[in-house]
Amino acid sequence: MSRRSRRAVARSTAADRARVLLTGLVLLALGVLVVLLGYGVFGSNRAQRPVVDPVVSDWIAGNADLTRWIAIVGGIVLLVVGLTWAVRSLRPEPRPDVLLSEVPGQRLTVEHSAIADAVRADAELIDGVSRARVRMVGTERRPALRMAVWLVEGTDVRDVWAEIDGRVLARARQAFAVDALPTAVRIELDAAASHAPRVQ
Amino acid sequence: MRFVLRLLSPLIGLVVAAIGAITTIEVVTAWLAPASSPLVVPWPAWRDGLDGLTWSSGAVRTIAIVVGVVGLLVLLVGLVARRHDVALTDPVPEVTVTTSPRSLARAVGHEVRSHADVVSASVVASQKKVVVKAGTLDAPEDVRTAVRERVDEVLTRLPLAHRPRVSVSVAATKGVK
Repeated sequence: MSRRSRRAVARSTAADRARVLLTGLVLLALGVLVVLLGYGVFGSNRAQRPVVDPVVSDWIAGNADLTRWIAIVGGIVLLVVGLTWAVRSLRPEPRPDVLLSEVPGQRLTVEHSAIADAVRADAELIDGVSRARVRMVGTERRPALRMAVWLVEGTDVRDVWAEIDGRVLARARQAFAVDALPTAVRIELDAAASHAPRVQ
Repeated sequence: MRFVLRLLSPLIGLVVAAIGAITTIEVVTAWLAPASSPLVVPWPAWRDGLDGLTWSSGAVRTIAIVVGVVGLLVLLVGLVARRHDVALTDPVPEVTVTTSPRSLARAVGHEVRSHADVVSASVVASQKKVVVKAGTLDAPEDVRTAVRERVDEVLTRLPLAHRPRVSVSVAATKGVK
């Protein structure tokens, strides 16, 4: 359960990072290999071979149709992979609605913005909270809550926690009739000036 | 750096898609309608440019170095772009609480500056370490002890999951008290 709340902290960049790291590695390896090849590390003979190698161009000339098909299929594969990649990383993070009942004919969901607004309004009532932001994350089957809370200077974090869990989240859990609602809370300490006088 | 990653990732995806599309288009054009080839990119000119070059030519080496450096930068972006959240202890199992290093530094900074003898202070914080640099008009050693106590007090008050190491340095500032 705590894994789900930890996953709700922020949108995961694991996939983007993996792709970017892979791209970087491939480019770096290509560059290094060609430089080493040019310096004759793999044999001085090989370093003197032309880039458009006669062995390769002869093979292409001998298998023109096969080469074309390989190039076309390779090109289409790159196109599909590249577009999928771009679309996946540009797609906004989904905000799932919460499913209350799945009985056929009585399917009941609560819209994500209704939940987010209710929880936000509740959280902003807490003493010491100057601003709150709430959104649903995850999937419809496994929703989670992400909140950001801005605290007034000098507020005790533990008091705010107790209020968030004991009142705000308890109400949300009760409303959706769930035992546990995974939640990631981001706290911004001392975000707003205190109204108490500094000099006494 | 997460922003750069978010930008770079779809961009690389689009470049890969473009390479694939152009390859397919050029191969099909050259095959079915050789008269209108090259259609998008002047690849016959590129092929002629490659003629006579060997792997040890200067141009090939320069391009390889550029590609390698670009690869290294992309790799660095991927490695550096991670979250730097400061974890607080979880009040209940299904709730995770975090704060930002900046907000931790702000909280520590407020506390340090509220000390009467501190005239200036800068704080850098992360999950593992809090570095405080303060200026004072008094004897730096005494102020240092007091500032340290205050920082320790703030860190005790905050329910941090891992207590960071604290380093405090106080320098004497010139001026009239």
